[in-house]
Amino acid sequence: MEFLNELQTTAFWAGLWQIILINIVLSGDNAVVIALAARSLPPRQQKAAVFWGASAAVVMRIILTVIAVEMLKWPWLKLIGAVLLLWIAVKLLIPEDGDDGHIESSDNLFAAIKTILIADLVMSLDNVIGVAAAAKGSLTLLILGLAISIPLVVFGATMLMKLMERWPVIITIGAGLLGWVSGDMAATDPVVKGWVDANAAWLHWFAPAAGAVLVVILGKWLAARAEAERKEVVDLGEASETKAPH
Amino acid sequence: MLKFLVPVDGSEPSNRAVDHLIKKLQWFRNGVEIHLLNVQHLIPYGSRVSSVVGHDKIAQYHQEEGMAALKAAMQKLDAAKIKYHFHIGVGDEADIICKYAKDKGCDQIFMGTRGLGSVSGLLLGSVATKVIHLSPVPVLLAK
Repeated sequence: MEFLNELQTTAFWAGLWQIILINIVLSGDNAVVIALAARSLPPRQQKAAVFWGASAAVVMRIILTVIAVEMLKWPWLKLIGAVLLLWIAVKLLIPEDGDDGHIESSDNLFAAIKTILIADLVMSLDNVIGVAAAAKGSLTLLILGLAISIPLVVFGATMLMKLMERWPVIITIGAGLLGWVSGDMAATDPVVKGWVDANAAWLHWFAPAAGAVLVVILGKWLAARAEAERKEVVDLGEASETKAPH
Repeated sequence: MLKFLVPVDGSEPSNRAVDHLIKKLQWFRNGVEIHLLNVQHLIPYGSRVSSVVGHDKIAQYHQEEGMAALKAAMQKLDAAKIKYHFHIGVGDEADIICKYAKDKGCDQIFMGTRGLGSVSGLLLGSVATKVIHLSPVPVLLAK
């Protein structure tokens, strides 16, 4: 019955929307990796790469989420998680810098799956912290959030990538929301909760708002700086310059 | 020789602009050096994604998508036996178009009034509008 009561509160629906948006934005990077890694494979293998890559992401995410929800009940961990989440949110907004050490990329099924698995490992951890923070301990929200976002990544990787390429503002909104959630998480850590409730209840709205503003401003600033550092225009057509006349 | 920068995005209206250019090319007595340009959007989550898949893979993606967008315009010019250069840039369309015009020393930008992003702006596409504002050289728009 507790489940049905939960369904009737506005907080639940607000939370659900939050968790869906965060899921989509935080799964987006994973989707882009899957789409990029799979696209140079033949169509049959593409399906296999996406299937195995996404399945691994699902399993990893479920396990990590359950652990994260449990751990966020410990003192200090919410505060640490909040700082981590702020950083994750800012990182979402930074564009590619064109310099990334040595990553081999070969166009076979095995290499594609390997790339996707590494991405799953690195990116699931971020997702999980965000989702666990937004769920605020509600198992219903957590399960619904995963159930809605996972099919999106599995079946819509390419679509999701096009969508965000066209409207990058989705990512900005999502990053701001993550900042909001992280502020909320910091203010409800068991260590500070008692003090905040008694002396500074305004922190319950101020900390989230400050988190959101901080993420968007810092992210945009770093992105603009990265853009300004790009010295010359990239020309991917340069190598094949003039076309001879017939 | 007069140097034209011709940004295209592979959409119907932008390819029509190329047709128009080919038709009117004899206007220019000493010929025109044509620089086709397609601008690809920056990849979302750039820094996170490139740390996993690598910069080369992303560049390759931009290049393949760019070539696909240029294809129709290139075929039209080939069919008309006109010489051209082609370029693929990455970033904000209008910014990159104007940077190219400056970088390659183009005398004029020639483009369609609208392309793929036909939702915003009733008479002029958002890219054309921004190019007019930012361009260091004259802009000729084909409707």
